[in-house]
Amino acid sequence: MVNWKRLAVPLAGLPVVALLAYGLTRDANIVPSPLPGRPAPDFVRATLGGDSLRLSDLRGQVVVLNFWASWCIPCLQEHPLLVAADQRWRDQGLRIVGVVYQDTPTNARDWLRERGGAWPNILDPGSRLSIEYGLFGVPETFFIDRRGMVAYKHIGPVSADVLADWITRLLADTATGGQGGMP
Amino acid sequence: MSPRATLVLLVMAAMAGAPAPGASQVSDATVARDTALERRVNAVASNLRCPVCQGLSILDSPSELAQDMKRLVREQVATGRTRAEIEAFFVQRYGEWVLLKPPAHGANLTVWLGPALLFLGGGLMLVVAVRRWLRRSGEQSAAPPGTQGELLARREILRRSLDELQADLAEGKLAQADYDALKQRDEAELAAVRAALTTTKPERASATAAGGRRMRPAVGWTVGTIVFGAVAVLALRGAVAPRNEGDSITGMQFADSAERPADNPRLGELEARVARDSNDHPALLELGHLYMQQQRLQEAADVSMKAVQLRPTAKETAEAFAHLGMILWGANELDAGRQALEQALALSPDLPEALLYKGIVLFAGANDPRGAIGAWERYLVVAPPGAETARVRSMLEAARQAARD
Repeated sequence: MVNWKRLAVPLAGLPVVALLAYGLTRDANIVPSPLPGRPAPDFVRATLGGDSLRLSDLRGQVVVLNFWASWCIPCLQEHPLLVAADQRWRDQGLRIVGVVYQDTPTNARDWLRERGGAWPNILDPGSRLSIEYGLFGVPETFFIDRRGMVAYKHIGPVSADVLADWITRLLADTATGGQGGMP
Repeated sequence: MSPRATLVLLVMAAMAGAPAPGASQVSDATVARDTALERRVNAVASNLRCPVCQGLSILDSPSELAQDMKRLVREQVATGRTRAEIEAFFVQRYGEWVLLKPPAHGANLTVWLGPALLFLGGGLMLVVAVRRWLRRSGEQSAAPPGTQGELLARREILRRSLDELQADLAEGKLAQADYDALKQRDEAELAAVRAALTTTKPERASATAAGGRRMRPAVGWTVGTIVFGAVAVLALRGAVAPRNEGDSITGMQFADSAERPADNPRLGELEARVARDSNDHPALLELGHLYMQQQRLQEAADVSMKAVQLRPTAKETAEAFAHLGMILWGANELDAGRQALEQALALSPDLPEALLYKGIVLFAGANDPRGAIGAWERYLVVAPPGAETARVRSMLEAARQAARD
């Protein structure tokens, strides 16, 4: 009985400690997106090169939709990885699409001219597309499977491992018939 | 029919020179409706969390993304969507995270019930502690006086006294009757002291050695209770006070005050003029210009529409056509937008705004950098140098580059 009373105060504090332990060990910047598992929102937009691009025209291929800006420092870090991925998997059906977020066409063009990258980049006036994809900031990258479903959303710069992992998985997925669920 | 489709039809009708039926009753209440609309926009925006400055609502956040989100909210409110529908729109894209006031279900209940539970728990602990303290001090006053040491000394004195009584009786110094009475008195007290010694624990006796120490917990608890109560009342007053509709959850301190209509005296003046006389053509035009500057597109479209209906062929109306053209084009009504811009330039070939917009439409929409270059070069010739000049120069540069590529 005395023991129970002695334990009562720490026991009452336990849920608070548990809540704090849960809350403080998480990265507050990683907010789970409702998009994975859902069809990627379609769009038609003008590209920097002057063409028009419709996402659903890329159905049947694996799309990596990368939101970036010329003023974004972490984007510098991931860009060479995207260039490498484009060269490595393009023939197997990878299509990278860049979305220029809150930037001027001139700055975006200059940035790309310096750093390479042969994939189409689209402009997003009024951030409509960014909001459509629930964007928090740049860089963010969406991996879209051959059926046009969002498989995974990556917040922050992608690593080579993340790129290789998801691209090979999604390329393999529909190559083998493809009705299997996402991991 | 959606308001946007209505707008498209009205622009078409105005460009054909035919007065649009029933349009005047739309614009008569423009001002009143605008402020009502703005209030509803603010009410919705105040509960949506900004993805950039995550502690602020999109009403308060100055970030561009928040401003773009607020623009979407305004559009949706203007098309008659309810608050619940607009919130659902954002939840679908950002998850429930985006709601500053999360719905009370599932894990969210921690947020709703947690503070109440903590408050009740704290109160309960306080009650238990105070009661224990009161009981303890009550026990102490009921116990026989004296510490264990005093009791032991007293027991010794009594024992010795009894021995002395015995000796006195034997020596004949004491009468038998007196001896019996004294012995009975001492033995009774000795029994009481022995009883007291069995109930008094050694540590209790030493802890209460000083009477002053007994008062300290009382003072502590009293001060603590008062401070706790004061903090709780102050904190709760702010937290549970009713909020006016449109007031922000995250505080208004970071809000961009320049964007609020009341802060621009010229805007209020013009709105008043239009409220008095809804056919005040110059006021409608200038109002359209100011609304465009503030990106209040719905209002800009309303007043520009009214101006177009009033004097569809006047040279001054070109500006209203230009604004309508840009708004429609921005709303993806590409053809209607382009036609309205053409109309503006037909009325006033060197209108700077129309040239600026035409360049944008040609460059970004029609992928015609050469056409855009022509429009913007003309703009730089005819427009007075201003805030837009640098922007047009950089766009012109981009267009020239695109034309070379």
